[in-house]
Amino acid sequence: MTKKRRRLPALIKDMGSCLFKKPFTQEYPFVSVQAPEGYRGRQTFDPEKCISCGLCERDCPAKAIELVEVSGKRMPYFYLDRCIFCYQCAEGCPRNAIQLSTNFEMSTTEKDELLVKAEEFISKQNISSDEGQ
Amino acid sequence: MEKFETAVDVLKNNLADAIVELKVPRPRKAYILLKSERHRDAVSLLLKHVEESMLSTISGVDLGTEIELNYHMVCGGTVTLKNRVPREKPVTKTITDILPGANLYEREVFDLLGVVFEGHPNLERLLLPDGWPKGNYPLRRDWTPPLIQENDSGSEEDSQNNSEEDDVGSLVSVVVGPQHPVLHEPERFNFTVDGETVVDVKPRLGYVHRGIEKAAERMMYFQDVFLVERICGICNAAHTTVFCQAVEDIGNIETPPRALYLRTIVHELNRVHSHLLLLGVGGHLLGFEALFQHVWRDREPVMDIIEQITGNRLMSGFNTIGGVRRDINPNTVEKALKTVKAVRKRAVFYKNVFEEDATLRLRTEGVGVLSKEVALKLCVVGPVLRGSGVASDVRKDDPYAAYAEIPFNVPCYDECDTWARLMVRVDEVVESLNILDYAFNNLPGGRLRVRVQRKIPEGEAVSRVEAPRGELIHYVKSDGTAYPYRVKVRAPTLANLLAFPDAIRGGYIADIPSVMGSLDPCFSCTDRMAFVDTANGQKWRWSLDDVNSHKNRRVLL
Amino acid sequence: MAIDLIFFVRTLVFPGFLFLLVLVLFFDWFERKVAARFQNRMGPSYAGPFGILQPIADYIKLFSKEDITPKQTNKFLFVVAPILAFSLFVFALFYIPIDGSNVILDSSFEGDLLLVLLLVTLANFGIFLSGWASLNPYSGIGATRILTQFLGYDIPLILLAIGPAFLAKSLSIVSIASSQVTVPFILLIPWSCVLFILVLQAELEKDPFDIPHAETEIVGGYETEYSGRKLAFIKLSEDFQFLIGASLVTVLFLGGFHGPVFIGPAEFWYVFWFIVKTLGVVFILEYVGNVSARLRIDQVVHGNWKLLIPLSILSLALTILVEPLLRSVIG
Ligand code: SF4
Ligand code: SF4
Repeated sequence: MTKKRRRLPALIKDMGSCLFKKPFTQEYPFVSVQAPEGYRGRQTFDPEKCISCGLCERDCPAKAIELVEVSGKRMPYFYLDRCIFCYQCAEGCPRNAIQLSTNFEMSTTEKDELLVKAEEFISKQNISSDEGQ
Repeated sequence: MEKFETAVDVLKNNLADAIVELKVPRPRKAYILLKSERHRDAVSLLLKHVEESMLSTISGVDLGTEIELNYHMVCGGTVTLKNRVPREKPVTKTITDILPGANLYEREVFDLLGVVFEGHPNLERLLLPDGWPKGNYPLRRDWTPPLIQENDSGSEEDSQNNSEEDDVGSLVSVVVGPQHPVLHEPERFNFTVDGETVVDVKPRLGYVHRGIEKAAERMMYFQDVFLVERICGICNAAHTTVFCQAVEDIGNIETPPRALYLRTIVHELNRVHSHLLLLGVGGHLLGFEALFQHVWRDREPVMDIIEQITGNRLMSGFNTIGGVRRDINPNTVEKALKTVKAVRKRAVFYKNVFEEDATLRLRTEGVGVLSKEVALKLCVVGPVLRGSGVASDVRKDDPYAAYAEIPFNVPCYDECDTWARLMVRVDEVVESLNILDYAFNNLPGGRLRVRVQRKIPEGEAVSRVEAPRGELIHYVKSDGTAYPYRVKVRAPTLANLLAFPDAIRGGYIADIPSVMGSLDPCFSCTDRMAFVDTANGQKWRWSLDDVNSHKNRRVLL
Repeated sequence: MAIDLIFFVRTLVFPGFLFLLVLVLFFDWFERKVAARFQNRMGPSYAGPFGILQPIADYIKLFSKEDITPKQTNKFLFVVAPILAFSLFVFALFYIPIDGSNVILDSSFEGDLLLVLLLVTLANFGIFLSGWASLNPYSGIGATRILTQFLGYDIPLILLAIGPAFLAKSLSIVSIASSQVTVPFILLIPWSCVLFILVLQAELEKDPFDIPHAETEIVGGYETEYSGRKLAFIKLSEDFQFLIGASLVTVLFLGGFHGPVFIGPAEFWYVFWFIVKTLGVVFILEYVGNVSARLRIDQVVHGNWKLLIPLSILSLALTILVEPLLRSVIG
């Protein structure tokens, strides 16, 4: 294979045109970013549907689920600090009580906030979002 | 295919007296049990009669009374030569004199299973920390972590002795790593330099051991898929594909064609973004910041497609035993096809840049030369091998997933230098995009996955894929339960690492980054065995949450 | 008394120390922003409008950080070298006429061009010492690289600087600038200017010549061991050097502070034109820096002795040859 001739940097034109382009990067925390549909984010849980079978707890590869007695029923607590967001739990749940959400903003300085309790879904019943801060 | 049959025939004809058992359960996969100590003959026969045959890895399995050493030889397919040594007195002969590329693998087995290879040039620790107590071999079945809890650790002193070598005359030792801008992951290289010239280099691995092979034995097969996925973020799809293939092989599970195509798609997307990442990093390592930023910018759309298809930018969580976990909808296909087209345009442009740019070529041409003969001897894999003029690609030689049906080329360069290795990757990006184009357009219908029992029948299987960095091999042994008996992983970087000292010797300090970069090292793949926290010395635990974190960094510089 | 007041104001406030500091920080910001835009990034954008206060924030951060002096270093040199380099650069900048004359009025003399070049060389020697004193292998390699590269590239730099001086028939910076009122020298001897910018790239340690602190090879190079205030001084001296380099191009080839004067005081327009021209030079330097990969030290040395020195001698010879032709247009 014959090599091409060495030339001046080929990127010259590309770089110049970038001066007139909008920057590709975003000022992230100041502009909101949406994860696409189907993104595996923070779990949501439907206490009505759960039958306390414990499958999610057994299957979780990261041991991030613990069944805890909540208002007379054993329901899962999710330890997000251990969770690897594989959604084996949602896949295995016979009643589809566990669903994914596209919420990915989970960073926090408090470790306690990384515990998703079943209670919060009982009170709100709806998708909780924007925790932290 | 032909090569594989020649290999088996050669062994059958010339070594009939040594073969105890010969199985060919699948095309291009042979398992041959040899009489004890006959492995050397078999290996040299294969090297002599089969062109471009290499050693993939050696996997040791503790069978209770014996330790089985599996020499996985690549010749068209995989010929696994089994040599058993007694567990009480695990001594066998080395093959490093026949095949120098076995060096690190023998050390690995020595380190983790305690098998002594007679005649090995430097049988030292490879992965475990220097202070690891003697006589503890984590991959033996009866080894449990608490055993060494009370042991005092002499690690500090040992590692000190190791790292500080006297400067002789004009020779200065420069320690690169564990923390260094050229390394994105902790690993240590001790360079001996004379002025600006590199005289020698000694790598030290093991800073990111997480004990994944051991941990895999304690989790169910389907959970292990998520575990092996985390061996390496960038080639996660390759790891899950190869693991699922191995298990499907053992359990005789037929994966539906749609799943095979989807696996191929995610696998190739992975390759595209991995190669683009490396090309960008190459620019950064050579001080070409604009190239770095531009390539990474153009990699972003690929990541977006991966995110849309799998649900995460990086950890695809896509493959599972018996198929894939999600379907892909027509909208996504349409969007992906558009992206593929756009990225291909950019890839062709970058090919031009790498081909023509004067400063880039000045820095990469003739640098880090690894000749074809040496490359074969050291058993390097992937783009490094193809950059040295050997057109070997698992996707072509031993097709898996949907590759048998998809037309594509294997780019290969004869220059043997850093430039060639980078060019191979640029070309592969274009090829991968063509594969993606084909796969998206020819996606078969049908089921996504078949139901698989949690228990997998007894058996063993070797499975190989072409990960972005080269041949990736998993060996899985099952004892009929829901938990694997042994999982052995050989990531491509370990194979390529041996080439680094050869490629850099005699080069300049300034070449270290580019040569290192052109091998595309990924140490989290390479180190996956033990979990160590040297900071407080005594804490040895083996739970998955620890395994998932990288706590074992140690700063020596 | 009045003389003294003017003297103090000129040295300390305008166009002396304070003004130069602000100018340097502004150039730092400009450089970063331009580089970012070349790479399709945003660059500094939070501190102040368009992130213009980012360099100040960075220096405040550096100055307030813990200042570590490693045990095994040569303490005296380790502390003194960065300050020495910094002050030499500031001193050199005092001889660049920004508002029509030097910072210290009437201090311009025949030969101050050579003084500036000499000061820059000395200051770089200070930087070399800072790396040498660190006793860290990376710093050591970085320091030797500075010396190798700098000493080599000083020769073509001076040779090329002689060109405009020859045309202007003067070695004083002010009169070189003044003789370009009608036609800037870049139009008369463009080859010289192009080479000068290339060599300057090496002097300023910008890509493709940023070898002494090639981060992927030798971490921070000579500044590896520095932190806090001392690092701030090194960074400041780098920024000052950058300004000196860019302004040398401006005064030698672009006519310095001269430009069309519209309304108002001439000094204002002098400063204005000077800054605009220098920004242009910075832009070009950044462009070259971003579009090339880093060379290797051996390639740089070879390139210098085999290519740049002969070329700059040729360029000087050519300048001398064509000088009679150009004489008529030089003001
Ligand atoms: S997503 Fe995976 S790791 Fe997280 S709780 Fe569910 S099963 Fe466990
Ligand atoms: S698997 Fe589903 S139904 Fe069973 S305990 Fe978990 S959430 Fe409840």
